[in-house]
Amino acid sequence: MNNRWQNRSRRRFLVHSGGGAGMIALAAMARSEERATLAATEFCPRARRVIWLFMHGGPSHMDLFDPRPVLTKYAGQPLPESFGAVMTRRNVARNPLLAPVHPFRPRGESGLEISDFLPHIAKHADDICVLRSLHGDSVNHPQSVYQMNTGSILMGHPSFGSWVAWGLGTENRNMPAFVVLPDPGGGLKGGPPAWGSGYLPASFQGVTMRPGNAPILDLQPQPGISLQHQKLNRSLIHSLNQQHRRLRDSDDSLEARVKSYELAFRMQAEAPRLVDISRETDRTFALYGIDHEETREFGQRCLLARRMIESGVRFVQLYSGNTVGWDAHVDVNKNHTTLCRRTDLPIAGLLADLKQRGLLEDTLVVWCGEFGRMPMSEKGKGRDHNPWGYCAWLAGAAIPGGRAYGATDDIGLRAAENPVSVSDFHATLLHLLGVNHKQLTYFHNGLDKRLTGPDEAHVVHELIG
Amino acid sequence: MKPPTTTSQMFCAARVLHVGLRRWSTSACLLFLAALCFLPVLPAAEKSVAYREVPIDDYDREHWAFRPRGRVPVPPTPTSDWCRNEIDYFISSALPEAGLRPQPPAPRRTLLRRICIDIAGLPPTQAQMSDFLSDPKPDAWTRLADSLLQSPAYGERWAQHWLDLARFAETDGFEHDKTRPDAWQYRDWVIDALNENMAYDEFIQRQIAGDELYPDDPTARTATQFCLSGPDMPDINLLAERRHTLLNDITSTVGEVILGLQLGCAQCHDHKYDPVSLADFYRLRAVFEPAVQPKQRKSVSTLEEKFPYEQTSHMMLRGDFQRPGPTVRPGILRVLSPPGREFVPQATQTSAGRRTALADWLVSPDNPLTARVIVNRVWQHHFGRGLVDTPSDFGLMGSSPTYEGLLHWMAGWLIDHSWDLKALHRLIVTSATYRQRSLLPPDATASDREAWNAALTADPDAALLSRYPRWRLEGEAIRDVMLQAAGHLNRKAGGLGVRPPLPDELVGTLLKNQWNVTPETSEHERRSIYVFARRNLRFPIFEAFDRPSSNSSCPSRNVSTTAPQALHLLNSEFSLRTARHMADAIRTDHSERASQIEATFLRALARPPDTDEFQESLHFLNQHTVLAGNDTDILTHLCLSLFNCNEFVFVD
Repeated sequence: MNNRWQNRSRRRFLVHSGGGAGMIALAAMARSEERATLAATEFCPRARRVIWLFMHGGPSHMDLFDPRPVLTKYAGQPLPESFGAVMTRRNVARNPLLAPVHPFRPRGESGLEISDFLPHIAKHADDICVLRSLHGDSVNHPQSVYQMNTGSILMGHPSFGSWVAWGLGTENRNMPAFVVLPDPGGGLKGGPPAWGSGYLPASFQGVTMRPGNAPILDLQPQPGISLQHQKLNRSLIHSLNQQHRRLRDSDDSLEARVKSYELAFRMQAEAPRLVDISRETDRTFALYGIDHEETREFGQRCLLARRMIESGVRFVQLYSGNTVGWDAHVDVNKNHTTLCRRTDLPIAGLLADLKQRGLLEDTLVVWCGEFGRMPMSEKGKGRDHNPWGYCAWLAGAAIPGGRAYGATDDIGLRAAENPVSVSDFHATLLHLLGVNHKQLTYFHNGLDKRLTGPDEAHVVHELIG
Repeated sequence: MKPPTTTSQMFCAARVLHVGLRRWSTSACLLFLAALCFLPVLPAAEKSVAYREVPIDDYDREHWAFRPRGRVPVPPTPTSDWCRNEIDYFISSALPEAGLRPQPPAPRRTLLRRICIDIAGLPPTQAQMSDFLSDPKPDAWTRLADSLLQSPAYGERWAQHWLDLARFAETDGFEHDKTRPDAWQYRDWVIDALNENMAYDEFIQRQIAGDELYPDDPTARTATQFCLSGPDMPDINLLAERRHTLLNDITSTVGEVILGLQLGCAQCHDHKYDPVSLADFYRLRAVFEPAVQPKQRKSVSTLEEKFPYEQTSHMMLRGDFQRPGPTVRPGILRVLSPPGREFVPQATQTSAGRRTALADWLVSPDNPLTARVIVNRVWQHHFGRGLVDTPSDFGLMGSSPTYEGLLHWMAGWLIDHSWDLKALHRLIVTSATYRQRSLLPPDATASDREAWNAALTADPDAALLSRYPRWRLEGEAIRDVMLQAAGHLNRKAGGLGVRPPLPDELVGTLLKNQWNVTPETSEHERRSIYVFARRNLRFPIFEAFDRPSSNSSCPSRNVSTTAPQALHLLNSEFSLRTARHMADAIRTDHSERASQIEATFLRALARPPDTDEFQESLHFLNQHTVLAGNDTDILTHLCLSLFNCNEFVFVD
């Protein structure tokens, strides 16, 4: 009750911009002092920041992280009757089973099995914990993209990163708390609402950034406007604002706006520095695969992710995959070969780099898609969407690696052992950040809304060790 | 910001206890709970036995918003000559109780800019300035208000307030975010309805049941797009889930927008605080069921009544489309209707008439909420906040009105005046309350200053209206005002949404062909309301300035202050281009630097610069000249800078 009141007054506070409100809304951009009224200190956070690698389109769990030897054995045969009716996107329930494309091998000291698709990530087997029993609620892309990001298959809910930005703020006052590095191919299914702030204030939505000279939209003046011109403009704006405000009882919302301009100028200086990787060493370039055509693009973004969290950005989300992405309906081998080649080495490089810099200890790395894929074939060599059982993996945040938690059934169709819903998954990730998912609420439309929704959700302690 | 008062918390606690005791005191209720768990496997007959709906009692009906309408006396005419109409009697009699007193009117220039932006969403034109500022007649203000309310710009501005509530966008959302080819017709219908001053009761009736009420009028069917303006997933495999989601969204939205009640909570379980049961929700939903039959892969548009419609309606347990519970018949909320009142739709040859019956009830004198809610919304947009601070929640969790008597009186006044919205606007803006100043002039007397400072403490947010509350323009208005100041606003009305160019970085986040730029460039400078409303990508300046997501009804926008807003106004291609256009226009009219500076201030801020500002601007232009070596673009910098100053984006 108490918490709701606090959020409720907070919401009004933001909405009505009365005394002091603007300050908070401004701080929203870089809020280190003001946070949601959650009991963040309830338990000690194991992760201070998050890098979320989102494999858009739905990577095939049984071809990457979930070895299903029985599936190889029954390849070519129809799904046994004992599995019952299966809802699929493209009516593939009666198609013959398709064996995993490449062999799995035990990796590292732990012997965690990972497919030959991912030789580089496989070298970090002892650092990662694979969740093999994740399950969602929709066979459709956008609904599942929304669910993985916002907890709901419907539009309009705040994304995980927005909740974290709202709850924990940023550690860098010159940068937003939640940064998104979209795939340059574009066309995410579900679009920008995937990193939207839903009913939270707009300042908590993901800020998209890109490598290069213009990392943030409108960061730099238009061509022909030099920084000296801008300096003159800035000084006139400031002076007019000061006089305007003096006559208006030093209204805080006016002062907040003055501060937002100062922050904008600081971002103008800081953001390009942050994305300027020219001073990184050749060794670092090689580590992330930036020296190779195939891995350059994703490698650059992985490196940017490391630089962001290093500078205090709270939550960085990277997308791999354009409109089609990992959506291997036609040919798993062809699709996944391309995407694994693009991402495998950079992700391995990111893990290695985080580790050598001591960042992995309190950084959570999440790898997942919006769902996995079906054991049945589609069009011979492809696979259809499968939300009923699939994989994600976690690294860092002191999570014991070299392990798998939960299991799908023998053929990878459904989560069978220790199933973990997307809401359980979210609750667990929040727990790692020191946040009780039940406490992180926002009063909206007559309800205390939360990321994990109205239904029960549980922190999966065995998953994170 | 104030923490909730102890009284309201205690009241709430009492309310919860009250409902709780009634609900859980008997073992039958517990049995009901237990039965609920097994419902899906029970045949229908047994289900209806298991559901027990908590009856509405007098306690429920006592809540201030649910009480029936009644005559509200206007406070006695005060001795002060400050008052101009009844609104002022309420305010001036209440302020002293809080140790406050009302403020005299703001200067004429301030008032002119206030009312122009408030009603028309545009700054005063040169002609409006010279007319009004030199008009000595006592009714100058009323005539100005009337002329603004008569201008098409009024509907173009106020329609956006309604479209926020209607969660309007022109695409489906979700993966394909497909264009709804006729969505713009609903946007135009709202604009036209406001401009033609359609009575508010008819405005509501048409949006709920236009097709039934006016079967021969195609625009009446268009109005029903209100119900289906939210996001939709035509591509989803499960049509039943899609229809369920649509119906629950319609029911919640009708509750929020028209009744100011958050019914959405009751789609899963009885409302925790308000006397709205699960059955109430699904009774109301049943009214719409015959009219919502989505087809696979086809976007929704208007309501389409299926008649005869023989499916029974059910409560959906926990809001789950796969868990139908007891059957329900169409009906209205019990707490808002007199005990025993039946919901009896009159069937016609084409329709069961359910929505007509609902629409009639929504605007009937029996219903205490509809008028209170719309009066509050109109007030909200004139003053930046409503008398009820939670404009879509008049329930127990909502705020209490700051001036309850005034709210009830205005609601009655609106009904007495045949739901005439323009008359309501006129009543509000001609009040002395609306005309108050928002700042104390530097030459105020010591006693005025003392009273002012006391008011800043006693009424920090101006919620009690002891002065006019300053408010910030919405993104749409900022864009329109910039274009108007530049003399580049294309005033063409209506038609297909336009797509001005967007940065590649944004277009890149979309699917192919989702932002095909409108070829005719003059169209790019149409008013903001005509910019194509894509659900998955808000137009950048609107998004930066808190345009809501159009995924659910938005009663009042956030007002955030962020660095991306500053970056957009400073650096965007739009800002620079518009500043250039403005500078060009000024240079055409004025060759002298002094008059150029004055014209720049007049266009941007609707006032001339004061001496200091003039000198500073002159110095500013000289510095730019030194820097640039020629002066072609010098004035552009002054225009651009004024777009960015606080005075430009705030209304005093």
